[in-house]
Amino acid sequence: MLKEDFVVQSNLRRVLIRTSINYSRMDFGTVKGVVYIRGVFQISHPTPDGDEEKMKNLTINTLYSLEKKVRGIPGVSDVIFQLLNWRKERGQWVPIEMKKKEEEDENKTESDL
Amino acid sequence: MRTKRNPIYKLILGEIEEEVRIHPRYADLQNQFGLLLMIEGEMEKAENHFLEALRLNPKYQEVILNLGFLYIEMRQWRKAEEIFLAEAKRHPKDGFIHHVLGILFLQTGRKKEAAAQIQRAVRCHSHYRDYYKRNGVCQRGVVHLHRKAEEALKKIHLNHHHAQYHNFVGLYLAKRGKSVQAVKELRKAARLKPDEFIFHANLGTAYYYQGAYPKAIQEFQKALKIDPFYGMGYANLSYVYGLMRRTQEALRAMKKAVQMNPRYADLHYNLALLYSDRKRYEEATYELKKALRINPNYLFARINLGVLYEDQKRWKEARREYRKILQITPDDEHIRRRLERIS
Repeated sequence: MLKEDFVVQSNLRRVLIRTSINYSRMDFGTVKGVVYIRGVFQISHPTPDGDEEKMKNLTINTLYSLEKKVRGIPGVSDVIFQLLNWRKERGQWVPIEMKKKEEEDENKTESDL
Repeated sequence: MRTKRNPIYKLILGEIEEEVRIHPRYADLQNQFGLLLMIEGEMEKAENHFLEALRLNPKYQEVILNLGFLYIEMRQWRKAEEIFLAEAKRHPKDGFIHHVLGILFLQTGRKKEAAAQIQRAVRCHSHYRDYYKRNGVCQRGVVHLHRKAEEALKKIHLNHHHAQYHNFVGLYLAKRGKSVQAVKELRKAARLKPDEFIFHANLGTAYYYQGAYPKAIQEFQKALKIDPFYGMGYANLSYVYGLMRRTQEALRAMKKAVQMNPRYADLHYNLALLYSDRKRYEEATYELKKALRINPNYLFARINLGVLYEDQKRWKEARREYRKILQITPDDEHIRRRLERIS
């Protein structure tokens, strides 16, 4: 299997650019074929009527689709999502309260690094 | 001057108008709105928005040029001449500015000065030499401004804002994932003004999105030939080479990108990946440390650094990095397993 991280990273960059994700608040990295995606996950073009339920479903579908696309990149052995506003629980994407998570992460970053 | 109405034009105009209303202090938006109004033939309104953009940012070159072209359109020769003479002083190697000055002098019957500007444009970029030759204006280095040549020349001063317009529409479409249409628009821009690096860079990016990698490389190379200090151009070129698995060329381009933008942690990170893929551990470690110095919270750089230490059997340093990572992301099972393995 291919294990060239830069090749994976270049593919990953293109996958993210071509999706309807607002990736300005996301970071991504590749370590020995393992892809890391962190930050705040948002759709770039929200539903025009602003329906929250529709938006939630759209985001969930986009997350599944992104995961599938990333796993399809040659050389990718695993994908780790460390999102501030979404978490995968028993195979299902669920939204998490972002403020609390952001605060937790910020506290850790400040005190530990 | 009215251009053939693009069906997407109305949509873009409406969006920009709304954005200008929300953010009236953004020079960029004022400029974009002015350009769209100018293309629509609403000259006075366009002038107001360009002047507002310049009030907000007096050194905004794109606005200065747009205003200059607007004055040409409005046949306000003196105002236009002032703008382009000042720009020629600031950018003596910009062939298009000399070309426009040549046309301006022709419009006002100053043939000698027009010929001198045309000579300068020829020296700046081969595109002008070919163009003047084709139109019988310049032969064997001598400028001939006969009536037919004058007519031909007067037409292409419109190229600048038409090119800006197509570039703008192209970027708009690219952002919405319509890469085929975006490429069409951006190609028009680059054809109209071939010595403008940003048009080639944008076209290269659109080809990159589309997956037309050899064409993307070609356009990024054209952009870099015009502006060899365009650091992100090298980075984009490197990503495209990466997609084509041409990692030797990717490495060369990324090194250049880092050299041009030494404060971008992301570029150091990518360069480190290229080195570590080639097992050049020392150089990879150096680049990751640089990335971490710029951004100490750059988690991926720290993970890669830990793995790199592990590869070199530098266990103590690897453990140190993994522990730091787990303090930030305690749920990372991959890192936990790695740490357990070497503890």
